[in-house]
Amino acid sequence: MSINRRFFLKSGGVALASITFAHAAPSFLQRTALAQGVGRAGGGRRKTIIAIFQRGAVDGLNMVVPHGESAYYNMRPTIAVAKPRSGDQEAAIDLDGFFGLHPALAPFKPLWDEKRLAIVHACGSPDNTRSHFDAQDYMESATPGVKSTPDGWLNRYLQASKDPTASPFRAVSMTPGLPRSLMGRAPALAIQDLSAFAIRAGAQTASVQGGFEAIYEQGVDEVLRGTGKETFAAVKFLKQANPAQYKPENGAQYPRGRFGTSLLQIAQLIKAGVGLEVAFTDCGGWDTHTNEGNARGQLGLRLQEFGAGIAALVTDLGQRMDDVVILTMSEFGRTARENGNRGTDHGHANAMFVIGNAVRGGRVYGKWPGLRNDQLYEGRDLALTTDFRDVFSEVVQRHMGNSNLQTIFPRYEVSAAKFRGFLG
Amino acid sequence: MAALTKHTRGTIVRRLAAWVCMLALVSSALANATGSSEQQASAARLNENQRILHVLNRLGFGPRPGDVERVKSIGLDRYIDQQLHPERISDAAVEARLQDLATLRMSTAELIAKYPNPGMLLRQLQRRGEVPADLAALRENRTKGKAVSGAAAPPTDSGAQMEAPAGNSAPGSNGNAQAKAGDNAEYRQALREYYLKNNLQLPRVIIQDLQASRILRAVYSERQLQEVMVDFWTNHFNIFAGKGMDQWFLTSYDRDVIRPHAFGKFQDLLLATAQSPAMLFYLDNFQSVSPHAQMGGQNRRRELLDPFGRMPGRINNNPFRRNGANLLAINRELLRAQQQGTRIMREGPQTMPQPQRPRRGINENYARELMELHTLGVDGGYTQKDVQEVARCFTGWTIRNPRGLLNDGEAGTFYFNPRLHDDGEKIVLGHKIPAGGGIKDGLMVLDILARHPSTAKFIATKLSRRFVSDNPSPALVERVAAAFRKSDGDIRETLRAIFTSPEFNSPEAYRAKIKTPFELAVSAIRALGGETDGRPALHQWIARMGEPLYMYQAPTGYPDTAESWVNTGALLERLNFALALASNRIPGTRVDLARYAGGEANQARVADQFFNVILQGDVSPRTKETLLKKLSEPPTATTAAEPNSLMAGNEGAGYDRLARRERREMRAVNASASPVNADVARIAGLILGSPEFQRQ
Repeated sequence: MSINRRFFLKSGGVALASITFAHAAPSFLQRTALAQGVGRAGGGRRKTIIAIFQRGAVDGLNMVVPHGESAYYNMRPTIAVAKPRSGDQEAAIDLDGFFGLHPALAPFKPLWDEKRLAIVHACGSPDNTRSHFDAQDYMESATPGVKSTPDGWLNRYLQASKDPTASPFRAVSMTPGLPRSLMGRAPALAIQDLSAFAIRAGAQTASVQGGFEAIYEQGVDEVLRGTGKETFAAVKFLKQANPAQYKPENGAQYPRGRFGTSLLQIAQLIKAGVGLEVAFTDCGGWDTHTNEGNARGQLGLRLQEFGAGIAALVTDLGQRMDDVVILTMSEFGRTARENGNRGTDHGHANAMFVIGNAVRGGRVYGKWPGLRNDQLYEGRDLALTTDFRDVFSEVVQRHMGNSNLQTIFPRYEVSAAKFRGFLG
Repeated sequence: MAALTKHTRGTIVRRLAAWVCMLALVSSALANATGSSEQQASAARLNENQRILHVLNRLGFGPRPGDVERVKSIGLDRYIDQQLHPERISDAAVEARLQDLATLRMSTAELIAKYPNPGMLLRQLQRRGEVPADLAALRENRTKGKAVSGAAAPPTDSGAQMEAPAGNSAPGSNGNAQAKAGDNAEYRQALREYYLKNNLQLPRVIIQDLQASRILRAVYSERQLQEVMVDFWTNHFNIFAGKGMDQWFLTSYDRDVIRPHAFGKFQDLLLATAQSPAMLFYLDNFQSVSPHAQMGGQNRRRELLDPFGRMPGRINNNPFRRNGANLLAINRELLRAQQQGTRIMREGPQTMPQPQRPRRGINENYARELMELHTLGVDGGYTQKDVQEVARCFTGWTIRNPRGLLNDGEAGTFYFNPRLHDDGEKIVLGHKIPAGGGIKDGLMVLDILARHPSTAKFIATKLSRRFVSDNPSPALVERVAAAFRKSDGDIRETLRAIFTSPEFNSPEAYRAKIKTPFELAVSAIRALGGETDGRPALHQWIARMGEPLYMYQAPTGYPDTAESWVNTGALLERLNFALALASNRIPGTRVDLARYAGGEANQARVADQFFNVILQGDVSPRTKETLLKKLSEPPTATTAAEPNSLMAGNEGAGYDRLARRERREMRAVNASASPVNADVARIAGLILGSPEFQRQ
């Protein structure tokens, strides 16, 4: 077992064809391993996107602070994050003389300096809804204003990149249910706990699983037989992988809690070489209508977990970040002015992070619309200069290598001309 | 050799069309299936038992012990006719089981008053100047305290908490709500006491009751076809319980909109949904306002208040409302962990977020979905211009006092507000709708849509898919659509056309459909003659298998073909559900396997019993053979040393609440079960999880 585990930790998918697992490696893994060894149909190594949804509408103006705007300080007398000052732990962390990170996002600064982290600001959905529900729905279906879109954008990506070698772990959401982003015809898993992905029958587990396997294996029922085969293969593989014993690498420390755990398990799946292509997770608590706080306070605490979690994931994945892009999103931004309760209300445009070794980081992308009264959207919110679909589609085409953008982003004029260029 | 033939045949068939692949199973199941080509198999007929089984599976949620014989004695045709007239079937037994679900009988206004979430409650009290002094003081303290993380927020109620047991429904009773600030704990406690003293409960109870009622009716109702149709229409006219006020509106939606119209004229059903607060809210029509609406004069404030349920200067967003996070949350353990991260921020003392200006103007959502999803279908021949015109027709169709902010017995009911209506002329699908029609505009639209041939085709397709196969033939759909048109959209007559069709009664349709999670759970309990109280634990399994009731976000409803729900994760949960049910690990649900197994020690004979009970003996010889062979192998029990992933000591990981709970359940089962019982449960579980039982 320990050999397997070490193997599991060190080698990733390519070595799965080695003797250690040869007798046990499920067919999808052999396919996957093979595919990874020789490259995918489209050429190149398997790429992975990790989408992270900040549900509840994070205050993008305090997350990525436009400290060069005096209007920012005028509109936020108690909750503004102070201008960068060296040695001041409670001030914004300067990025480029105009923007700065919220101090709780300090773990992002090295990534910025190494040019692995890019920011797209004043970005979001053109639909003006200020309903969390509708705005999340629109962002995840990637069809603002249209509710009946049956599938999510990540699922349409999977549909558009047909992969005959696809593994059951091709798309995994570390959430209790499948998010809207991943709903649709292409198979996707919602797993919250890798160690619960098993036949659960106590002392009888082995014999029960064997029984199921046998009756599905011999079944004349093609559909269920195929699914059954994959299922048992996946279960066995995960069992051998022994997720409970996972140890992060490079000294990565994930924050406690669901968010950190979900990122840890994503790292685990990536390292296991199970063919993970699309990963999803989310975190909440961003709806800061009251007592938002500035450097400290509610938003700061949430950002601390958010930043520490993502930084741990990047550290843990190490060189594997060559093939991974992390993309963060939130349904809309918040009002430019603070309200009477030292918080902010539902607004419009927001900021997104794009992280990966292939990312042209160290830059804030997008046109900055300004925060003067006449520059605000409807007189109150940060205006939108980048449609979120331009960001999504750039990741889909330039990172995931799928140019079928019309299918993935229906009802939208999508083109490389609108890409912001954070992926070259 | 036989295996090879079947396999090859299956492969070919799958290439032709997915549903035909069932042919292989069907032919192997048929005693007289000697034909070697699809043609001959098609010509085969179902025997009497299979026909009855087929009807019990499709017009209902599968047979209970004795049902096949019962239908045989009534006569199959007569049974079908009875099912088409549910009003003639006495259903007292199930009504008795629903007695405890008090919310089912309440009006929307009552539900809002008795099941408020804390934010709503405080707003109501505030409005009336009735916030109790102690509560006000604690609240004040709490909000003045240091900012704390969202995890210490007061009890909120959201879709994310809907799965907690009903008994635990007073605020603050959540064991997970670990207060970080003493003030908060005190405040929560005070709030909890206020709820108890005033006999209030949290709103999640409403949806739990509704989910329980659907389960109980599906399991126990004699009106099986009615329950199937309720399931069908509920999904066709889908509403998501997680959107805003909809959790208070769904009870009436099920009781007053879907059920009474499930077998009548389609147009009546359509109208009932169009005027239901649930739909008006879900698809935003309640706030769709003519841009030319006359807002001037004295009435302006009043008119704005009603449709938006706000006093002037009030807010649009309830701070306690969900922040939309993780609305598909599926079980309590998972939820708890999740809530740590998804709390809505605390409510402040002055508490109301800044007013958001009411959004005035046309909202096209309902108009679009009405045509695309409810009537014509996506290729039904309408244009964006039609969407806009239909939206104009429905301006003013709104909800009285939708958030129940005013003491008002009529809160949360439909009303037409002429002042918000666009009274100009409209053209819809080529029909002129004259100016000045008021509420008649919308009624005319519904009439045009209900009679449109595309609607007949669309509804016929969906019904055929539901009752016959995932890919119904165009010929069948056309015949069913014709029955719909001829009967002026009579649902009963349309169903009759399906049930009498050769396609419905053909071997190709037999076990051609894969059960949805709801169908699987209900049919498994029925097959074993089990008892359930419909408690949330059972619904959690339905959720884990992928389709929690009232929890599908998009207006499309759950996909109606199996490819969307047959996947690795879902299959695994189906198998685990089968095991959990058979070993009585689902709280509130019990099966008595001894009743079938008796004291029989011979595993083969026990298995035979369960093949009869669960699959009516209609099982492929090879499944049977394989299972028996497997059973005869010496048990390979998992020892403690073996790293069963569930049993491994991974408490430190911090993310294994589910695993821990299952371990607890498992220990209980292992402790109580004698070896014979465990073996019997294993056999029953394997058969419930077999491919044959996944199908209907």
